[in-house]
Amino acid sequence: MDPMILKHYMLIHDNRDGSLEKAMSILTQMRTTFGSSECRLLCVNSAQDGGLTDRQENPWIPYENYVLSNQNLGRFLNNDDLNEMKDLMHDLSSKHIIPHMEQKIRVLNQQVSATRKGFRNQIKNLWWRKGKDDMPDVPTGPMYTFSSIESQIRVLGDYAFMLRDYELALSNYRLLSTDYKLDKSWKRYAGAQEMMGLTYFMLDQSKKDAEYCMESAFTTYLKLGSSGQQNVTRCGLWWTEMLKAREQYKEAAGVYFRISNEEPSLQAAVLLEQASYCYLMSSPPMFRKYGFHLVLAGNRYYISDQRKHAIRAHRSALSVYKENTWNYINDHVHFHIGKWYAFLGLFDVAIQHILKVLACSHQSIATQELFLRDFFQIVQKLGRTFEVFRLQLPVINMSSLKIIFEDHRTYASSAAVNVKESLWHSLEEDMVPSMPTMRINWLESDPKDTKKQKNSNVCVAGEAIKVNIEVRNPLKISILVSSFSLLCHLYPVAEVMESVCLAEVGDQYDNGGIGKFSMPGAQNDLELKKMKNSWELSSSSSSFVLSEVNFTLVACETTVYCLGYIENCACILICFVIYGYKVQLTVAPKVEGILKIVGVRWKLSGSVVGFFNFDSNLVKNKTRKRRKRTMQAAGNGLNFTVIKSLPKLEGCIHQLPIKAYAGELRRVVLELTNQSEFPVKNMKMMINHPRVLYPGTLKDMETEFPSCLEKQKQCEQHNVQTNTSQVSNGLLFSFPENVQIAGERTFLWPLWLRAGDPGITSLYISIYYEMESCSSDMRYRTLRINYGLEVLPALDMTVQISPCPSRLSEFLVRMEIVNRTSSECFRFHQLSSVGNQWETSSLRSNGTVCPSQLLVAGQAQSCFFKLKSCSKSTFDDITTFSELQVSDVRLESLGSNEGLFDVSCAPLADFHNAASKTPVWWIMDGPRVINYNFSTSCDIKLRMKIHNSSDEIAFVRINTFDPIPSSGSQEGWYNISPLNDIKVTSDVLGTLSTKSSSPLSSIDGVSPYIWVASSSTRVEIDPKSSTEVPLQICLFSPGTYNLSNYTVHWNLRGTNNNSGFIEDGRRQISGTGIRPGHPYYLTVLQSP
Amino acid sequence: MASTACFIIVSRNDIPIYEAEVGSAVKKEEAAHQHQFILHAALDIVQDLAWTTSAMFLKSVDRFNDLVVSVYVTAGHILFMLQIKIAYSLLICISSAVNTSLVGKGSWEFLPGIRDWTCIIIFINITLASILSELFLFSLTAHFIHTRLMLLHDSRNDDGIKSFFQEVHELYIKILLNPLYLPGSRVTSSHFDTKVRALARKYL
Repeated sequence: MDPMILKHYMLIHDNRDGSLEKAMSILTQMRTTFGSSECRLLCVNSAQDGGLTDRQENPWIPYENYVLSNQNLGRFLNNDDLNEMKDLMHDLSSKHIIPHMEQKIRVLNQQVSATRKGFRNQIKNLWWRKGKDDMPDVPTGPMYTFSSIESQIRVLGDYAFMLRDYELALSNYRLLSTDYKLDKSWKRYAGAQEMMGLTYFMLDQSKKDAEYCMESAFTTYLKLGSSGQQNVTRCGLWWTEMLKAREQYKEAAGVYFRISNEEPSLQAAVLLEQASYCYLMSSPPMFRKYGFHLVLAGNRYYISDQRKHAIRAHRSALSVYKENTWNYINDHVHFHIGKWYAFLGLFDVAIQHILKVLACSHQSIATQELFLRDFFQIVQKLGRTFEVFRLQLPVINMSSLKIIFEDHRTYASSAAVNVKESLWHSLEEDMVPSMPTMRINWLESDPKDTKKQKNSNVCVAGEAIKVNIEVRNPLKISILVSSFSLLCHLYPVAEVMESVCLAEVGDQYDNGGIGKFSMPGAQNDLELKKMKNSWELSSSSSSFVLSEVNFTLVACETTVYCLGYIENCACILICFVIYGYKVQLTVAPKVEGILKIVGVRWKLSGSVVGFFNFDSNLVKNKTRKRRKRTMQAAGNGLNFTVIKSLPKLEGCIHQLPIKAYAGELRRVVLELTNQSEFPVKNMKMMINHPRVLYPGTLKDMETEFPSCLEKQKQCEQHNVQTNTSQVSNGLLFSFPENVQIAGERTFLWPLWLRAGDPGITSLYISIYYEMESCSSDMRYRTLRINYGLEVLPALDMTVQISPCPSRLSEFLVRMEIVNRTSSECFRFHQLSSVGNQWETSSLRSNGTVCPSQLLVAGQAQSCFFKLKSCSKSTFDDITTFSELQVSDVRLESLGSNEGLFDVSCAPLADFHNAASKTPVWWIMDGPRVINYNFSTSCDIKLRMKIHNSSDEIAFVRINTFDPIPSSGSQEGWYNISPLNDIKVTSDVLGTLSTKSSSPLSSIDGVSPYIWVASSSTRVEIDPKSSTEVPLQICLFSPGTYNLSNYTVHWNLRGTNNNSGFIEDGRRQISGTGIRPGHPYYLTVLQSP
Repeated sequence: MASTACFIIVSRNDIPIYEAEVGSAVKKEEAAHQHQFILHAALDIVQDLAWTTSAMFLKSVDRFNDLVVSVYVTAGHILFMLQIKIAYSLLICISSAVNTSLVGKGSWEFLPGIRDWTCIIIFINITLASILSELFLFSLTAHFIHTRLMLLHDSRNDDGIKSFFQEVHELYIKILLNPLYLPGSRVTSSHFDTKVRALARKYL
């Protein structure tokens, strides 16, 4: 320490404490002791009685950066005092300090230049320093006394710096820093460097030098470790200020960040926050860096127990991370804000933030558990059941929303519901009255009423509306959901009458007592409030019944479905995952009025209540797209007009098999139950496949099934005709007039089922009935029943007819029968020809037609018999029908005593009639057995004879397509099971003969044969005439082939055919049709 | 293999479309969000840096403590720069052609309104420039899809990282070629995932 510092003594005298004389005497004493020029007297508080007469404000205000709280500061100072103070300070600086400093500089400069400046001094200095190298390296460096030349230089530099002689200061600091560096006195070196940096900055000459100096000072301080701690911070702050002054905010932020690493958490938090602001100030602003550093700062604040500051920092950061998809970041920020708010006791806000992280499917189980646990803890602390609008747990899949309701259309099963409305509509077109009966006269009807009807769907009181919705658990932890139920509002009839239309009812209700909000958050609150209101209303009222569902959603319930698409050799596999839980909710209104489904409500783990409203706009669009039945409802799909309770039929078909073999005949029973007390009448039935399902008569119920078909009395014939006339309108069947189903009764009616073409058939049955009770709202209802039937192939049959060489009216028939089932054996019973034009007989007078009666699975058999034309005259159809005589050939062994079946009796003949309606017939003609040496591929020519039996010109198109190599008719998407049980399916579907005789064709992917020439042939056939179409195939290997890979399309162009249906006596012939090809077996043998 | 490595693909509007922790270190719970924070903040630097260089691989653009961010920027923005260059050179070509064709003919010099002609030429140039800039500004918005592959790592293996990026870029292009993939949506292909992890094991 330099003892020769400038000294100045001052006596401050308060005039309120005593008289001036005392002070003057003390001053004279001081002067004698310290010297006269170094002592001064300052008198203050000379103002009288503290009155603020001439000055209102605090005199220190111009010099103060912040306003002091004490307004009475300096009350006793008068103007003279203030002037005296000013003079004193002015004197002190100008007469004493600055001259002293200047003098010091002069002296020191002389000293320094004498010892250090000049060439000789420098050499000497270098040599001297070198000599000091041997001394031990202490971390603090050598000690320097105040009189040492280094200290002198430093003092000189500081004085020069203070007096703004930066050039001089810089030269001295430079000199000094080299010295310190050589001495390895790092702390002092860093200090010199720091000052150099500042000097450079003040000189404003080279930015680089300034930064370089600061950097080296900073790093040197850092190296010193704990002793340089404060210096690091100071140096860093200088540096950042420097950079900020030059608008290098980005660099400043970096420096702030570097300092923050060295500081304890609170200081670090402040510094990090500063860094974040620097990023915000830089151009272009770096928002992401800003957010990141704010989050870091928030964390440090939290560590140092400054929770409010932590929340503030995180909340500001949230503005950056809003609307971004970096989910971990969002979760972190929201979760911490929520947690800290909970610490502060602001549970409402805390929950708002925690809610945002609940549906975090990307997080690990531990994190999800943590989130959920904290959430429930906060809710518990809140002390009441918390209600959340659009709670994320579980996630509700709005696109899965499906509302099933029954107006005049009722459904027997869920399968019937899923059928497209257009299908039902086309089926019921002829059956239901074309005009809705509820409006008697559109002129008389109330305009309000029609509007109301249009706006909403109709449902019946007492019948449940089902709402199917899928919920999904996004978490890996299972969650418990209880009392999941619909939220509805029922406006009773009286209330509806008052208001003009439903929309206004809704608006009135919505805006009742609640003002308009424009904020989206407020909108949510409003929605929540509305839903809470309606929940309270619905729980108190008894006008409808709601179902409640409780369930536990297992963690990410996953089901994996595999779909395969196989086309030629390419195979694509698609796996998709469905994890969801289908919930069915019901609401059953009890009184008439207007029912509005608002949304759903549930409880999560018994503590949190979630609300979800079905957004009306969303639903409207979706329902219109998905379900046609709401097409007429131009308004909301969630509004229902509840009408008075009506009778409703429930129905099902007993004994209907799921699988059947082609040609199988069964009797099934339709059961209809009337649940209400009112009877229904005037029933009609529509079946989409009269070839498969056919209504019988009541008599059929009484007889035993197989035996009733046997040849019996003649009276059956009569029955056929009556039955046929009943079904005159094609698909429509009217129950007899006297059939009525009284209240709470069950009604049975027999139906005949005959499995037709192989494949999967959907049976749609629609039953129409009218109500006795005179309700003006609804006169009739329909019951829709849907069943699926899989028909498996049973027997394949090909015939070859050649004229008998000996007789003109006789033909020889070779019939091949193939059993295409995998396990079933068939026993032949009889061979009958339908109609009376042909008579069948065995070749020999009493011989059998076929060699054995039993046909084992997968085997084929050939039969030979004679056809004889028994009438040459051309009867018209009606007479033929009445004189129906059948010639049957018993195929069984002769000893059998079973009766022959009567093919002309009721169900058989009906099905035959239905089946024989095709106007176009064809037969494939060509070689059956061929010998060929496969040196080249084998071309085989075939002819197809097509006959048009209708009265119109038929346009016929034959499409051929190549068979799928692997198995049968599998094409497009289908289910492949992981196990290798494809073989089983191929046994059923594939052609056995093909497989057995030419295994090669099915093993490698080469198609066994291909169609040659055009793949589509069109011909035009005149009415009642035939034509021949040539076809050609190409074979590559020997084997037996089934050439049924073609389809025949026809289109009839009648003169008066507009509707596609032609009235032709009793028969209706469809104008267009498609039929798959008949089987045709071709055997090719390898010839040498 | 690096102990910490977090790989992320960032699409337009800074939406991450693929994330993977490919480091060998045991995954810590808080690491996931920390890595996202660092990578997200580094986007600011990448944004500035990507326009200053034509290189796709920007090594060590940002650092946080001992974690370094390296970025590979796909060619989207380079496409745009090319167009501007074309526009500019086109402009010069046209203007010089017009100038020479008009001024080069001696017969025009004696016309009294020659200054007016040059004025017109300049005027044409300006209008052309404005038209072209509008044209290409429009195409800028149409083509501006650059995807950033970002890697947060603690190793100094620059060559490995570069080749990792190049191979992943190829994989990403294959993903883009998939007609069922909507550009800018999340990459959910498990095949891509396994490939990326294999590459990380190979190079990092």
